[in-house]
Amino acid sequence: MIRFALLHSFAVAAILVAAPARAQGVLTVAMTAGAIPVTGGNPDQGFEGFRFVALNLYDALINWDLGSADKPSVIKPGLATRWEVDAEDKTRWLFTLREGVKFHDGCPFDADAVVWNFGRYDEKAPQWNPQQFALSRAYLPNYAKIEKVDDKTVAITTKIPSSLFPYEMSYILMTSKCRAEALKYDWAALAGQPSGTGPYRFDRMVPNERLELIPNKEYWDTKRIPKQDRLVLLPMPEASTRTAALLSGQVNFVEAPTPDAVPRLKSSGMKVITNTYPHNWAYQLNFKNGAFKDVRVRRAANYALNRADIVELLGGIALEGPANYPPGAPLYGKPASYKFDLVKAKALLKEANCVPCKITLAISTSGSGQMQPLPMNELIKSQLEAAGFQVTLQVMDWNALLALTRAGVDTAPNVDGINVSRALLDPINGMTRFMQKAQWAPQGGNWGHYGSDEAEAMVKAAFNEFDPAKRDALLVALHEKMVDEAVMLWGVHDINPRAISPKVQGFVQAQSWFQDLTPITVAK
Amino acid sequence: MSQALHLPAMAAPRPAPTPGYWSMVGRRLRRDPVTVIFCLLMLAIVLSAVCAPLISPFDPYKESVILRLKPFGFRGHWLGTDELGRDILARILYGGQTTLLMGICPVIAACLVGGSLGVLAGYAGGWVGTLIMRTMDVFYAFPSVLLAVAISGAMGGGMLNGMLALALVFVPAMCRVAETATTQVRNLDYVEAARATGAGHLMIVRHHLLGNVMAPVLVYASSLVSVSILLGSGLSFLGLGVRPPIPEWGLMLSTLRQSLYVQPWVCAVPGFAIFITSICFNLVSDGLRSAMDVRLK
Amino acid sequence: MARTILLRLLYALPIGLGVSLVCFMLVYIAPGDPLQTVLPPDANAEMIEIVKRAYGFDKPLPVQFVNWIWRAAHGDFGLSIATRRAVSLEVFGALANTLQLAVFAVPLSFLVGAGLGTAAACTPPGPVGRAMDRLVTGTAVMGVSVPNYWLGLVMVIVFAVELAWLPASGMGNNGSDNFSAFRADDLRYLVLPVFTLAMVPVGIIARTTRAAVLEVRGQDFVTTLRAKGLSEWQVVRHVLKNAAPGMLAVMGLQFGYLMGGSILVEPVFAWPGSGTLLGRAIVNRDVPVLQGAILVLALVFVTTNLVVDLLQAAIDPRVRRG
Repeated sequence: MIRFALLHSFAVAAILVAAPARAQGVLTVAMTAGAIPVTGGNPDQGFEGFRFVALNLYDALINWDLGSADKPSVIKPGLATRWEVDAEDKTRWLFTLREGVKFHDGCPFDADAVVWNFGRYDEKAPQWNPQQFALSRAYLPNYAKIEKVDDKTVAITTKIPSSLFPYEMSYILMTSKCRAEALKYDWAALAGQPSGTGPYRFDRMVPNERLELIPNKEYWDTKRIPKQDRLVLLPMPEASTRTAALLSGQVNFVEAPTPDAVPRLKSSGMKVITNTYPHNWAYQLNFKNGAFKDVRVRRAANYALNRADIVELLGGIALEGPANYPPGAPLYGKPASYKFDLVKAKALLKEANCVPCKITLAISTSGSGQMQPLPMNELIKSQLEAAGFQVTLQVMDWNALLALTRAGVDTAPNVDGINVSRALLDPINGMTRFMQKAQWAPQGGNWGHYGSDEAEAMVKAAFNEFDPAKRDALLVALHEKMVDEAVMLWGVHDINPRAISPKVQGFVQAQSWFQDLTPITVAK
Repeated sequence: MSQALHLPAMAAPRPAPTPGYWSMVGRRLRRDPVTVIFCLLMLAIVLSAVCAPLISPFDPYKESVILRLKPFGFRGHWLGTDELGRDILARILYGGQTTLLMGICPVIAACLVGGSLGVLAGYAGGWVGTLIMRTMDVFYAFPSVLLAVAISGAMGGGMLNGMLALALVFVPAMCRVAETATTQVRNLDYVEAARATGAGHLMIVRHHLLGNVMAPVLVYASSLVSVSILLGSGLSFLGLGVRPPIPEWGLMLSTLRQSLYVQPWVCAVPGFAIFITSICFNLVSDGLRSAMDVRLK
Repeated sequence: MARTILLRLLYALPIGLGVSLVCFMLVYIAPGDPLQTVLPPDANAEMIEIVKRAYGFDKPLPVQFVNWIWRAAHGDFGLSIATRRAVSLEVFGALANTLQLAVFAVPLSFLVGAGLGTAAACTPPGPVGRAMDRLVTGTAVMGVSVPNYWLGLVMVIVFAVELAWLPASGMGNNGSDNFSAFRADDLRYLVLPVFTLAMVPVGIIARTTRAAVLEVRGQDFVTTLRAKGLSEWQVVRHVLKNAAPGMLAVMGLQFGYLMGGSILVEPVFAWPGSGTLLGRAIVNRDVPVLQGAILVLALVFVTTNLVVDLLQAAIDPRVRRG
């Protein structure tokens, strides 16, 4: 906790010093991605693609506020200045669009542009593009249709009333219609000449190797015009390669250095910064077959984890995560606490008459947000076994685990838990997709088919409550319910370590998967 | 690996061994000091892998959060510890089992399959022989590493798939060696004579061919073991072979690589084990080849 | 000569066809879904169906193969699933980077290997000769025994981590499209991977050269040359000329192996060549890239062998007749 507080004060100090007027320096980032994320719209490579490429080149109607290190990141107006649900029809949302915005190629941003962008989900429209469809449709589970009201207003209809719908809009990026038409819908060509409205413009790309972006001096949010001369993004999936690149000066900003390399980096004068963000390294559980059907077994597993040891394994670069959200998150509330308690865990297993309690966990060898999956799973296995579980780890590669996740519990009845780290940015991604029956995989993110009438009612009530404060109160109750039911086996929260060269100044690490690189300057 | 599979041309078929041939081979081997030394070293490596449960100082799976990435000699961990705090010496010993298995099983499998196909092609000749050999040519068109990586990558990795991929890579070369040897022996006088006296095909193959084909196949197979070890651990190094947490040298190298900047020399240990083992098998194979070469008197 | 070329070309054709069939099938015996990379974890069944149809993975296999081979014959290997770029661009771009390594590694290993081998074969008997012979035999055994990915790792440990003389990985600060071996800054990035790749063939080439030279030296014409009073140096020149076809074959083989074999070395140095491309395509299950890359690499290998055959035939009449 002390380390955490110190990091916070560092981040605050960073805000205070970050005010140089002149653009300077080249920021070179080593990403963890294996390739350059897709540039022509919604990105691949998970949220890292959003973080470094998509959210720099593009805006959504609603953006994330990434300006603060000590407040949870929330959504804020992006290309829409305001939005509200129709008072008569709770499935109809009106978005008022920002005026005077132009795409990088000069194409005007207006209601037609927005409607055209949503045409990308219509298989018959010329702008339909299988890659963009695949990469963005899943972010819009509740979208039904869109219509232009006037030049500055669009109306979007949802399938069911949902007060959380604005969050879905924060993942859909607006691309230039003029550019797509000029290139005759040649999507491969578009990747080399993307046009958005974001704070950076595309400059050059060496496929698979580097992407270079330059500031968009006409960006509509003048406070966020990038302060560095150039942003260079390099994919470096190997942690040791990233470490070497930072030490040799080839890059000055690296994502996710391994905990073991941190002392070496610090002794070479590098700064290692961390911050909490809505991420949980956890297991989704099987509610249809096997031991975890019994809530006592689920609780026992949660009590059996000595999360302090896991944090230690990670060199202190993690937070214990006995609940879905970290303390301090807006929807945290007062959930039950699964502090390490071996006696209680054993007692619960005995009560559930599951001794030894045989479980199989599917895990991956690597993957986005998976931290150090092998060592962590090995440690957790030994901790669970100390409490009376008998654990089999089914190791597979990341894509195989994702396929298993998508297919849902029915295709893998003998797997009792899957270790897939999830982004919990918003309440849909953070909770409801894991608790609704409508989200039972393969229809959605509820892999293990959790479902209870109370949870259904609570989710429905939250969806239908359009007053933000009241809605959040309902969601807090939902979080408490989720933790009480032990819907997952929770491990730790990543705190997103990044190592930067001392020359990199002005970076404020937001409490988010996304980050704002625009205030950064790089000393010569 | 560029060293793979460059040898078939050298394993030239030899004339029929005479009685006393094998004792001559044995005599020659004993007189070759380099081969003897490395043969002993090889035996020591194999033995220590087989006896790993008896001699290993630690449990190769036992992790320790506080003992992670320690240097050589730290608290009885002679070769240090890995990123999970497991003893490296123990993992090298147990890993030897896996690595040697990856080195030997595919070669044996390829010997059986490739050898039989080669004998069939050489003995039957005609369109059967052509069909077999031309099919083999197609696989021969791939560099061995590429083929191994492609096959095991396509099949989704794992130890069994890795071994299967290696076996498939070795089959064509093995087939060529056996075919060449068979063709040469088939036309020798005494085989002709046997055929003339009405001996059945099976009889001829069993009595006259197999003994003669065995020698070149054996020599070639012995040279393949080190290639198989190198390729097998290479597959694991790329994440296409043995799955964690099973100890295997190539895989150890790959996971330790992430800690290059913490304990650089500890990271190099498993590769050294591969290197030494591969040298042993190569030198023993070289010794065997020259001992079995009847041209050298 | 024209007849030789024609025959060899005709022979290469069915092999090329067989190779493409193998490439195509290889990828389809694979378990797993090639569309995994583009589909988010929450994608539902209906969405997966639509995407599958759009990418053409819903058609029966033989139809897919005919489509593929038809387009491949026209130089079109389809689009990468992950990047939506033409596979040919991906593959040839990566191949060019691997070639950068090969053009340095092959001559380097050849010069060093052939030099060592000739020296070992030609030194007069005695302690120097025996030491030379030991050196060559030792190098050869080390060369065929060393796991080259480990050698690369050790190079990185020594020269990048401990001594910090050379960069550990990548192709320099300008990216591969601006890479130039003639710029000192970029050249530094070439040193470690080229050295690693060259080390292995050195042993093989040294051994082959030694054997070839020894064999030629034992032949009658060498004795005749000596008897005619030629100096030892002139004799060596004659011997080398006669041993050249055999050495050329080995060199061609090594070039082909380097193109495919760098798959284990490139990841160590994060070199963006064909090996790295193949590795990424396997991880992503990017089927079109996988098929294209394997096919092109195999064809490069077949072509290299063909060229070596023809060159051999050109300089050595004995091969032409055989």
